Amino acid sequence: MKPDSRIDKQRRLAGLFALALPALLSSAHAQAAEPLPDALRIAAVSRTGPSGKTVFAGSSALVAEQGWLAAELGKLGVKLEWVPVTTNSVAVQVNEAFANKSIDFAQYGDLPSIIANASGLHTQLVVPGGSMNNTYLVVPANSNARSIKDLKGKKIALHRGRPWEFPFSRLLAANGMTQKDVRILNLNPQAGASAVASGSADAFFTLSDAFLLEDKKVGKIIWSSKQAPQDWKMRAELWGDSAFLKKFPQLAQLVATAYVKAHLSVAGEGGREAYIQHEVSAGQSRRLIEREWEGDNTDWHARWAPLFTPELRAHYAAGAAYAQQARLIGRPLDTSRLYAPQFVEQALVQLKLQNRWASR
Amino acid sequence: MNPGVLSAGARGLPLAENARKVLQPAPSEPLTVPMPLPVRHSPVERWLAWRWSAWTSPLLVLAVWIAVTALQLAPEQILVPPLQVLAAGWELIESGELREHVTVSLARLVSGFGFGAVAGIAFGLLVGLSPRLDAYFAPSFQVLRQIPSVALIPLFILVFGIGETFKVVIVAKASFFIVALSVHDAIASLPARYLEVAAVLRFSRLQVIRKVVLPAIVPATLTGIRIALGRSWMVLVGAELLAAENGLGQMMEMARQMFRLDIVMVGVVLTGLVGLALDRTFRLLEAYLMRWQRR
Repeated sequence: MKPDSRIDKQRRLAGLFALALPALLSSAHAQAAEPLPDALRIAAVSRTGPSGKTVFAGSSALVAEQGWLAAELGKLGVKLEWVPVTTNSVAVQVNEAFANKSIDFAQYGDLPSIIANASGLHTQLVVPGGSMNNTYLVVPANSNARSIKDLKGKKIALHRGRPWEFPFSRLLAANGMTQKDVRILNLNPQAGASAVASGSADAFFTLSDAFLLEDKKVGKIIWSSKQAPQDWKMRAELWGDSAFLKKFPQLAQLVATAYVKAHLSVAGEGGREAYIQHEVSAGQSRRLIEREWEGDNTDWHARWAPLFTPELRAHYAAGAAYAQQARLIGRPLDTSRLYAPQFVEQALVQLKLQNRWASR
Repeated sequence: MNPGVLSAGARGLPLAENARKVLQPAPSEPLTVPMPLPVRHSPVERWLAWRWSAWTSPLLVLAVWIAVTALQLAPEQILVPPLQVLAAGWELIESGELREHVTVSLARLVSGFGFGAVAGIAFGLLVGLSPRLDAYFAPSFQVLRQIPSVALIPLFILVFGIGETFKVVIVAKASFFIVALSVHDAIASLPARYLEVAAVLRFSRLQVIRKVVLPAIVPATLTGIRIALGRSWMVLVGAELLAAENGLGQMMEMARQMFRLDIVMVGVVLTGLVGLALDRTFRLLEAYLMRWQRR
């Protein structure tokens, strides 16, 4: 038995070595050229489409559909993974995913990004623009309130820490009110909708889901941000994990380029209709999207500008100041380090688009 | 009666002394008889006998928590170091925020649980004492009791709105079924001979209830109430997570939205401690009310 087992051992060792050799070689090779991750993960708001499968919203859907990013990453042996997050708690899901390193990029809102960075996470804005949702103030259908002023001392449903909280604070301030003048009910959009529908909240501040309440005749919109100054609009854009951007600038560049390409196609000829088509296939109603844009003073082309404008920087600085004043964050946040404009700049050069959005 | 005991008493020997004599060799016996070896306790046994040994598992959990955060095995934003949690807790105490949340939650618990428990006792007695009522209500009772309270939260919000009513109702619901069931079962398992004795003594129905049934079901009812109290607390914190202006659950939910996991941890630890305190207090009350049983 003994000699036999020795031979067996030797054979096994040889086998192991044969197995390990290519792995060793390839790992040595990879080390020389910076080991790339197996997958690049982007979180985006998702809905369940009419066909029952998960579909993404906004420019992420376009990037996914164009397929360019997946192909380019595939050439490098990196898999593109889309991580769906649900509209009810995008902010929390994305921030927690950034914290436990289960995503590298996310398309989400301004205030959650400020909250994340103030609590010690490091993320940076990679591609601005794309989603400037309007915000709406809805009251129960039988309410007599005509403006926010009539809601003094009343209960208003608002999901705290979400990107529409900042526009809400602007609305209050513009009417000489503060959050102390109303009673805020911290409810997620679903619960907020049923609260205003059942009349247990006197108002509900939210996004275009406000139209659904109007359609069901349980609520009416008494204010929208359509005619409000541009910086009242909430922003939701592409953020990246700072460590990832530093470690894999070449991958980040591909992501940025892909999003700029998507913005370009939407902002261009026929892009608006194509975008509506996408949103409809993602389960949004056409009427809702059209009403969201109806009477909006934002220029369509400018909406998709992926530029780090002074207005954008002012928006985030004001957002951070608000967050601290409203005690959403504990310490002041220097927003100047939240930007990583180099990727968009490079993408615009690559795509020869330097002057495309320069008119702004 | 045991004649042995009687005879020992008759000889004027204290019982305890007699008992000891059985265990220990009499001093007059020769010393050659080996003394029983002192029982060797293993370290584990000695540890378990130590009066602070109950702290073993909490301290172990704390040690693992400290180790994981010190070695940075988990991102610090998600698993916050215990010291930071303590600091956050202190901050909340100083600002008076914690006190407000805990007070509100406890007030909801007391009112909801009060309604639920009283209604549960009443309903349990009714169906327990009347087989006819039992037959009427048993099917719906058994079906409703299977629905987790948490699953009813969305429905209750629609019916009762998001105000205090909804929270009180959900807590009452959570306690009602447990209490009613324990009362009902306690009556059902009442030994038949109790009732036979009552029949021999020609008790009226009211007397049977007052002198036989009620005293007999106290232990089981108290246990049911204690379990219901714990369950109600869990359900309440869950309901507050979903819809509330304040309260411990809402404090946690809000902190999660603000990405302050240290405050969430304060809430988690506190929820556990409050639950434990409620349970312990009720056990003391139970022991006090049941003191007659030990005599």
